[in-house]
Amino acid sequence: MAKIIVVTSGKGGVGKTTSAAAIATGLALRGNKTVVIDFDVGLRNLDLIMGCERRVVYDLVNVIQGEAGLKQAMIRDKRSENLHILPASQTRDKDALTLEGVEKVLMDLSEEFDYIICDSPAGIERGAQLALYFADEAVVVTNPEVSSVRDSDRILGLLSSKSRRAEQNRDPIKEHLLVTRYNPNRVDDGDMLNLEDIREILAIDLVGLIPESEAVLRASNQGVPVIHDDKSDAGQAYADTVSRLMGEDVPLRFQSVQKRGLIARMFGGGGRR
Amino acid sequence: MSLNRDRADTAFTFKGGMLPMTVMELASGDPERIRAQLAGKVSQAPAFFQHTPVVLGVEQLDEPHLALERICAVCRAHKLLPVAVRGGSDPIKQSAWALGLGWFPPQESRPRAVDTRPVEAAVEAELPVPPPEATVQAGGRIHRGTVRSGQQISASEGDLVVIGAVNPGAEVLAAGSVHVYGSLRGRALAGIHGDREAGIFCHDLHAELLSVAGTYKRLEDIDPKMLGCSVQVQLKEDQLRISALT
Repeated sequence: MAKIIVVTSGKGGVGKTTSAAAIATGLALRGNKTVVIDFDVGLRNLDLIMGCERRVVYDLVNVIQGEAGLKQAMIRDKRSENLHILPASQTRDKDALTLEGVEKVLMDLSEEFDYIICDSPAGIERGAQLALYFADEAVVVTNPEVSSVRDSDRILGLLSSKSRRAEQNRDPIKEHLLVTRYNPNRVDDGDMLNLEDIREILAIDLVGLIPESEAVLRASNQGVPVIHDDKSDAGQAYADTVSRLMGEDVPLRFQSVQKRGLIARMFGGGGRR
Repeated sequence: MSLNRDRADTAFTFKGGMLPMTVMELASGDPERIRAQLAGKVSQAPAFFQHTPVVLGVEQLDEPHLALERICAVCRAHKLLPVAVRGGSDPIKQSAWALGLGWFPPQESRPRAVDTRPVEAAVEAELPVPPPEATVQAGGRIHRGTVRSGQQISASEGDLVVIGAVNPGAEVLAAGSVHVYGSLRGRALAGIHGDREAGIFCHDLHAELLSVAGTYKRLEDIDPKMLGCSVQVQLKEDQLRISALT
């Protein structure tokens, strides 16, 4: 049985798809058979971040409506043979998803894979609710700003009441906090919420801290998940996150301002790139 | 007799306790009628039906027999947990026991709560007498855990006790007082049915809104000196008064 992990946030633009792509890739690189599903029907993005947009033939909605089989719709990742992508449809809307259809897809995938990563759309409507309904674990992506924290709080409420685990009264969804776009300099200046404030309000375990990084934008535009960029701070932070998701105990990095030595400053290289 | 609770090797100690408990006074023994009414209530106040323990009060029923098993099943289907039966005939008492429920004597013949003390005292000599005003009114509610943005937790009767934080965008309401053992960052409304004696008590005040019996203060109106403090909020001369809890 696969472990189903939803990557969600409530708020848009905080880094859900980037995180889903990086986490799925990281899990696959560690030898887990992993599939990542784009639930953002109508606003398909995951295929771009994963760099497989030219190979999409069928999508999640085709599978749910019986127009294509899972094997036809899944795209094997170029870089890791353990990783598959199930894209969303760009021409349909979220009403094309049904609870029974999503359940069937997840159950079928469950037979074959170790991890199923569900990339949730923003918002708290149908698409987001379907993405989280069957989850065993949730990664709640949060930026260090008040509106993102409030929306994450709202999603945590839904996770504990509107999921299958909640409705069937089973063990609750395991919730993980992933803070992205964290900039220690701006935290010190008071422009951003600090990590402790976020953790105090959301009151769930921290699974990762991803620093604000140029590497993320570069990776998105190149269609290579940032975790492949193991020289970059964001890539390393995602690798740490994957380790923690797999149950390893890894110390937290990138939380405070990195003191850069004279030579690093002169040549402009180093960790910040 | 080993009632010495200081001994670390004891597996348990008996303690007297007063817990708020909802009594479901049955005016009909017909499970279908109960089901129909419960279905309506659940849609009105879904937050209340979260495996809430209830005592089935059957004093008002004359029937010597009751379809207790079916009534319990209906309750459980609506996320109410019957834990005991109060009143009723001997057969009802027997079937309650057979179903693993407790049985309490009918309300009229029950001694007042304070008078039960000798029974408890025999078990736990140091048990302090709860002052009457400190007990949670019947129908009050205890919520454990963070109340998150968009969630609403209410006690339509009695006090609401929240063991955890109330986050921004969350709302807690009670007919009686609201007690928050954590940060209060959301909205808190006490005395929602007009009880002017109700109050709001919290650690770490950051509330978006405080209201007692309809008189309210917004975060902007709250004296900044009080923010972050343990406070009580009460209605005095039609004004909300916020004072430090010392």
